[in-house]
Amino acid sequence: MIRLRSFAPRMALAVAVVVLVACFLGAGWGWLRAQEALRRQLDLVLAAEAEGLLRDYETYGLRGLSEAAEVYTRRRGPLLVLLQGPDGRLISGALPGAPQALRGFATLRPPGGAPLRALGAVLPGGVNLLVATDLSSVDRAALALAWTPPVAGGLAALVALGLGFLLANRLERRLAAMNGAARAVMAGDLARRLPESSAGDEFDRLAETINEMLARIEALVAEVRQVTDDVAHDLRSPLSHLRQRLEAALARARDPAADEAVLESSVAELDGILATFAALLRIARAEAGTGREGFTRLDLSALVAGVAEAYAPVAEEAGRSLDTVLAPGIAATGSAPLLRQALANLLDNALAHGAGTIHVALRPGPEIEVSDEGPGIPAEEREMAVRRFYRLDRSRTTPGTGLGLSLIAAVVRLHGGALILRDARQGPMPGLSATLTLPPLPDA
Amino acid sequence: MRILLIEDDVAAADYVAKGLTEDGQVVDVAHNGKDGLFLALNERYDVIVTDRMLPGPDGLSILRALRASAINTPVLVLTALAEVDRRVEGLEAGADDYLAKPFAFSELRARIRALARRPAAQAEEHELSVADLRMDLLRRRVTRAGRPVELLPTEFRLLEYMMRHPGEVLTRTMLLEKVWDFAFDPTTNVVDVHVSRLRRKLEAGGEAPMIRTVRGAGYVLAEPHPG
Repeated sequence: MIRLRSFAPRMALAVAVVVLVACFLGAGWGWLRAQEALRRQLDLVLAAEAEGLLRDYETYGLRGLSEAAEVYTRRRGPLLVLLQGPDGRLISGALPGAPQALRGFATLRPPGGAPLRALGAVLPGGVNLLVATDLSSVDRAALALAWTPPVAGGLAALVALGLGFLLANRLERRLAAMNGAARAVMAGDLARRLPESSAGDEFDRLAETINEMLARIEALVAEVRQVTDDVAHDLRSPLSHLRQRLEAALARARDPAADEAVLESSVAELDGILATFAALLRIARAEAGTGREGFTRLDLSALVAGVAEAYAPVAEEAGRSLDTVLAPGIAATGSAPLLRQALANLLDNALAHGAGTIHVALRPGPEIEVSDEGPGIPAEEREMAVRRFYRLDRSRTTPGTGLGLSLIAAVVRLHGGALILRDARQGPMPGLSATLTLPPLPDA
Repeated sequence: MRILLIEDDVAAADYVAKGLTEDGQVVDVAHNGKDGLFLALNERYDVIVTDRMLPGPDGLSILRALRASAINTPVLVLTALAEVDRRVEGLEAGADDYLAKPFAFSELRARIRALARRPAAQAEEHELSVADLRMDLLRRRVTRAGRPVELLPTEFRLLEYMMRHPGEVLTRTMLLEKVWDFAFDPTTNVVDVHVSRLRRKLEAGGEAPMIRTVRGAGYVLAEPHPG
């Protein structure tokens, strides 16, 4: 079904109208030019005839000339020749309303006849010669010439309209398919994709882009669903603990000291839940790519040194040590608060789950490596370890939200880098090595 | 101290206002941006606490309007948890401090006090002193009762911040933000470790303790109590 509200027929109609208008304007202009050129041509013919007759007059005299004029008159041809005596008396030929003693070219409009083009001259001896010819043939020729473009243009406009409607049909079909697919997605069928033909034209390119967008949306929605499940699963237990504890306290006889203890531990538990929420929101924001507008150029060497300095005494107090090898003057583009938090999380992890000396290295690339001498993470669990709330079996009892590594991964991804987990060395205590790679500065 | 609290959540506003009043402060409460801005422009306050999201002009608009009118009252912006990473935006708009909701009341109280007692011109100072503790900011030297105290750069920054707020409770979160630029709480006890090291250095000559731990809140640096 073709409606005028669709693009192609509207376009075709516009093209047709423009073609037609242009053709008529062109025809008018062509008619004027053709008429002018033909008349000039006619004037040359008249001048040549007049010259021939003059030569006749010089050779054969008035008699010869009037004989020649008679011939023209008898021929009733396109040329009229008129001879008038010096007194205006008609010697030969016939032209009603002919002017007396015409000099040079003129256009005559005899009453009741077609307009004539005439050339008048006075011959030696005072005889007036007038040569004239019908103008209507010239006008007819000019008109015939002028009609050619509008006829061609009209045909072109018809073809344009026809093609436009054909095109509209094809467009309508392809767009309707796309429209249908888009509506299906809107209705909740997120796996639906726009149809692509094999033509590889601009519609296919558009469909391809939109399909990529839909794939991204589908992945994001799946992720949100996953997060919601994770949140529900992992927050339910601390919340129900809290509820049980408060309910038990409420059922007990009032005792200020015991109540205070319960309230204090409840607030502590709530703070833990809120910390989990804050971490989840940060991960969500980092994964959604928001926060990139706050990126600045920063001195990574100073940033890593600052965080390491904050943790060195903590490691010492825990009977461990922190060893740093930092390349100086390394810059990066990013968010200082987020990178600081990512690095602090790595160090928190190394302190809580690792063992021995913690090595912090900053190398050009830039890359930041934090490694320890503990049990590490088994290769098959590394991918899972980055997921939200995932905790290795042996770390179930240590404090932490289970969000550290996924936050680090999200922050690094936001920066366009990668988080690589591997064994720091071989042996029974391989140690975990976590490397954050960041993209190099564009001008470096 | 006069405090203006602009908060559209009536229950939360009542809770905070009650706590501050019990603390001996005079509190005016506005429940929307329009009333808040009117009060802020026409009354004099020592500290303004405003929610970031408000009906009418929001917290940041109020902040910009105040700063544009050359009113430099310290402003603390409260923000929802989801906006924790947008504190830079608020600080750029002229906020003096930023606190994410939900917060512990002790945290808010500590921050309000730190804001209210902020010295007007810090640039002039070359030396800080609390009791017999002296800090030379130019030569970066610290002495306790004349005895030189050797500090690491972080410990120096920590002590400097505490000496600028003597007698005030400084929470762990405040210290993390101001001294380490950490806009988050690490799971390890970074602050406690640094404070206890600093404390040991300050008392190495057998002097009386100056850094007091306030349970559940934070730390106070003050003149030692006799005895």
